[in-house]
Amino acid sequence: MAQLAHHDGVTVEDLSFEGKFSLRCRPEDQSAISAALGLDLPQTVGSMVRSETRQIICLGPDEWMVLCSEEDRSVLTDAMANTYETTVHSLVDVSFREVGLSISGPDAVVLLSTSCPRDLRVIEPGSGTRTIFDSAQVILIRDGVDSFRMYVWRSFYPHVRGLLSAAESELSFGL
Amino acid sequence: MADFRVANKGRVNRQKTVSFSFDGKTYRGFEGDTVASALLANGVHLMGRSFKYHRPRGPVAAGSEEPNALIGTSRKSKGRFEPNTRATVQEIYEGLDTVSQNKWPSLSFDIGEVNDKLYRFFSAGFYYKTFMWPKSFWDKVYEPFIRAAAGLGVSPTEIDPDVYASRYLHCNLLIVGGGSAGLSAALTAARAGADVVLVDENRELGGYLLSEDTVSIDGKSSVDWIAAARAELEGLDNVRILTRTTAIGYYHENMVALAQRLTDHMAVVADNAPRERMWRVRAGEVILAQGALERPLMFDGNDRPGVMLAGSAQTYLNQYGVLVGKTVTVATCHDSAWYAAFDLADAGAKVAALVDVRTSVSDALVKAAEQRGIPVRLGHTVTHAKGRLRVKALRIAKMNGNGKPEGATEIPCEAVLMSGGWTPSLHLFSHTKGSLIWDEESGVFLPGEKTENCHIAGAGRGLWGQQNAIDDGIAAAKAALDSLGQAAADAAFSVGEDRPGTGITMKELPTDANSATARAFTDFQNDVTAKDIRLAVREGMLSIEHIKRFTTNGMATDQGKMANMNGLKVASDQLGRPAPKVGLTTFRPPYTPTTFGTFAGYHKDELFEVTRKTPIDSWAEENGAAFEPVSLWRRAWYFPKAGEDMHAAVARECAATRQSLGMFDASTLGKIEVVGPDAAEFMNRMYTNPWTKLGNDRCRYGLLLGDDGFIRDDGVIGRMSQDRFHVTTTTGGAARVLTMMEHYLQTEWPDLKVWLTSTTEQWATVALNGPNARKVLEPLVEGLDLSAENFPHMSVAECRVAGFESRLFRISFTGELGFEVNVPSQHGRALWEALHAEGQKYDVCVYGTETMHVLRAEKGYIIVGQDTDGTVTPADAGLTWAIGKKKPDFVGKRSLDRPDMLVPNRKQLVGLLTEDPKVVLEEGAQIVETGVKSIPAKMIGHVTSSYWSAALGRSIAMAVIEGGFERDGKTVDIPMPGITHTVKVTGTNFYDPDGSRINV
Repeated sequence: MAQLAHHDGVTVEDLSFEGKFSLRCRPEDQSAISAALGLDLPQTVGSMVRSETRQIICLGPDEWMVLCSEEDRSVLTDAMANTYETTVHSLVDVSFREVGLSISGPDAVVLLSTSCPRDLRVIEPGSGTRTIFDSAQVILIRDGVDSFRMYVWRSFYPHVRGLLSAAESELSFGL
Repeated sequence: MADFRVANKGRVNRQKTVSFSFDGKTYRGFEGDTVASALLANGVHLMGRSFKYHRPRGPVAAGSEEPNALIGTSRKSKGRFEPNTRATVQEIYEGLDTVSQNKWPSLSFDIGEVNDKLYRFFSAGFYYKTFMWPKSFWDKVYEPFIRAAAGLGVSPTEIDPDVYASRYLHCNLLIVGGGSAGLSAALTAARAGADVVLVDENRELGGYLLSEDTVSIDGKSSVDWIAAARAELEGLDNVRILTRTTAIGYYHENMVALAQRLTDHMAVVADNAPRERMWRVRAGEVILAQGALERPLMFDGNDRPGVMLAGSAQTYLNQYGVLVGKTVTVATCHDSAWYAAFDLADAGAKVAALVDVRTSVSDALVKAAEQRGIPVRLGHTVTHAKGRLRVKALRIAKMNGNGKPEGATEIPCEAVLMSGGWTPSLHLFSHTKGSLIWDEESGVFLPGEKTENCHIAGAGRGLWGQQNAIDDGIAAAKAALDSLGQAAADAAFSVGEDRPGTGITMKELPTDANSATARAFTDFQNDVTAKDIRLAVREGMLSIEHIKRFTTNGMATDQGKMANMNGLKVASDQLGRPAPKVGLTTFRPPYTPTTFGTFAGYHKDELFEVTRKTPIDSWAEENGAAFEPVSLWRRAWYFPKAGEDMHAAVARECAATRQSLGMFDASTLGKIEVVGPDAAEFMNRMYTNPWTKLGNDRCRYGLLLGDDGFIRDDGVIGRMSQDRFHVTTTTGGAARVLTMMEHYLQTEWPDLKVWLTSTTEQWATVALNGPNARKVLEPLVEGLDLSAENFPHMSVAECRVAGFESRLFRISFTGELGFEVNVPSQHGRALWEALHAEGQKYDVCVYGTETMHVLRAEKGYIIVGQDTDGTVTPADAGLTWAIGKKKPDFVGKRSLDRPDMLVPNRKQLVGLLTEDPKVVLEEGAQIVETGVKSIPAKMIGHVTSSYWSAALGRSIAMAVIEGGFERDGKTVDIPMPGITHTVKVTGTNFYDPDGSRINV
């Protein structure tokens, strides 16, 4: 690829490793699972809750992604395994399936809109969505007005990163 | 050099002179000129040659609808030549290089013009009639001739070096068109606080209002009002204005595509700056304020350089300060051309005559013409435009009481301004499949029923006059705001000196000359005449869709913006049926020609398409692997050593694996985690096999059918615990299988307590195969006894391998002792390197997909999609052992009992051995009964897999053949060019049929 320019309005960085789990369960088991996780499972698709070590985003009516620190991974799986007998659920470790990116700066929304068809205006800070970035499925979380995180399957990451770089370069011309 | 520039007129920047070249000659214009306006200012009308007849042509319009003035443009850098650029759109910049097209040796003297003299031979349907016979001429003579003649301009030969951008945009209201209706709509909606995007394809906002600078609005001149409107809109945060931006397509749910030209007007463009940007706008409401397009009049010679649309002449004057001729004749059937005549007269041109087909027009117009000394000729027709490279005179005649022309006279002039009325621009509306209603009175189609949240304002729905358009823009904005649930403040703009008007539409103008030789063009670019349309009807074409294809009317790059309505008028007349019964052809995106780059956006070179790579791919690349694409993945195909071709490399890899140890990257296999108390029940229902009794830490080959009973996918499935299965799928089937499972789970069995999660990319997988596979693993495994007794074939365990958390399978896709090690994908390469280092003790051989294919074929293991094709049942593939016979149901079970699934003569999967062991059959080769020589022979099957087997020292193949199992031991023939191979039908398990090598 040609030399790509850097654009001052936005910064794209790789996130360091986080534990990631796909959690599925039925409504009747949610309160017990919330207790085991130490966080109430958010009920609206897109909404998030967080504690110091864990974050949970609701991705579907019966689906959540749980993010945690590396050290917390085994603590979390043990706690959940202990509840399984009484509260059935599916907890699958996907820590290595996805790679996280942070996109921040005044032009973060513009940069994302080069390949994300969602209306980013309606994603409130502190919430997120499963969507696509170009042809890759991603989970997009908005932490602040100008700061986002995006999680993408590892084999799609180079394509997504390449598109972000090409778009960043293009934006730097201010056209 | 002639100068047709008028003082104090136009919007070009006279402080800034710009030089550019046309056909090698340097011309000067001003900043803000298009190539067309600058050439016209220099007195140059001849800008190109037509496609079929090579007739000399000049611009007939002033905007994006231009069919004639197509030129090649280039920037002085490699790869930036572009053919078929509209001279009326391309802005000039210092150093712009342009050339005319479709001429040789020169634009004014073109050999191809001989076609024009031979026009009688090139009538409508010429190709269809001429190139039919003899049939043998098609390949060698006709097709090469047609291909050479086809296409206008020269295709670029170099790779496009430019960068293209794209962006999604969401807004409350998108307004297409920045003329009077668009501006009044934008002001109304923006003042109400709506989030507005206003686009216009031109350099400036204003549309046709810029061409009517005598009109005033709210006491300001039209130009000042536009400037004030733009300033107000630009000052608002809720408004985005995009100029040089064409709305090219209108798709479902108010998705509108915009093509924005970012740098084509700039003299200096930075390296890698984006040339164009595609906007994909999702709008709550859309207002289409695209105005109307003027129609040419149809008379002999209406295509001569110098003959142009009256409104366009007005645009050249008022927007560019250019007189298209110092002596002009005006011919019209609409009031609008009268105002064009007045503007040109007021700017110093001599209007030699104002010819109107109508016998009466308003007194005010006639009086205004008389005041300017313009001779008015009412009830007159135009019979001929004289001149070849430039119009010299217009021949007109008075129509008598019967409409017959008599007493023709010639009026010398440098330009002819014509107007055949106006056609509402409904292309985008038509993209939405909105219905069109024929308006008999004005002879146009108007928007009817809408399918999207859109509003059409102004001339686009047949309204004429600036006040009407402005009022309609306000009304459209209010309606849009109402739909959005927003209140609109009252808005009103008062137009002074408005120029309302009416007109009629005409078929070919009456003539006293031989109408059979009259060349009255409907489609300028494709050289279609009114006569061609009539011929098409006479030859039996009834629908406009047929007429269009027979004549090519409306099939040029301008998509019939000028041709369609005139063609329809003529066709309807010839057919004796009203226009709506003849029909209007379908408009399709894009509205104007759009570069491939704009559609491609960022998708070029390595970003053209996703290439998925495994965590071990980098090692393969560093170690000289050849790769092959497998669905979106690229996989290591084989690992050639110096001097080896694929055949040699694969033979070596196969031998080494069977002899000692081979390792293979199996990370691309699809993986699905099936979890929940009903996991086993779910597996029972999805797969043919029984799962209930599969023990924890055991695995089993699973076969997945569609509900039609045919094989869809397969893979080894491990039971990690009572409620948790680790399912593997084929590489290409991963997404499809998960979707199918989710579909059944959500729609058929929502009661099951089980959930599915894709874990394909959670794990990296390394397959170890060969007699030494256990030995290489043993020192690296913690927490597991790998002995045959403790960890037999088809076991799975969680343990640590090379220090990484791991799911270890003992399975084999080669017939050798085999293991598959899964570790978190991040550690895939580290695991690979650890195994590779340890494997040195056993001369480990790294192999790719080709060797994997050979080794599995030697064992008769199928590859879904290669040995199956969607019509193969488990019985056909010899896999009835994989069916749980006692299960009440599974996907596809009932279909397996259909009568045609049980007939003995179905195509069945068998092995083939050639008589000559050195012959490797071609995969896909067709199979016939032995000895059949008659042609065509009945094809009874085909070869699905075929390889050289190093282990067996001969070729092997698999095939599906009718009644294949019954043929065991018999022969079939495989006819190939020049030779027929006779092969023996066998079983598919070629190597170690007892399986003694696996169970060690």
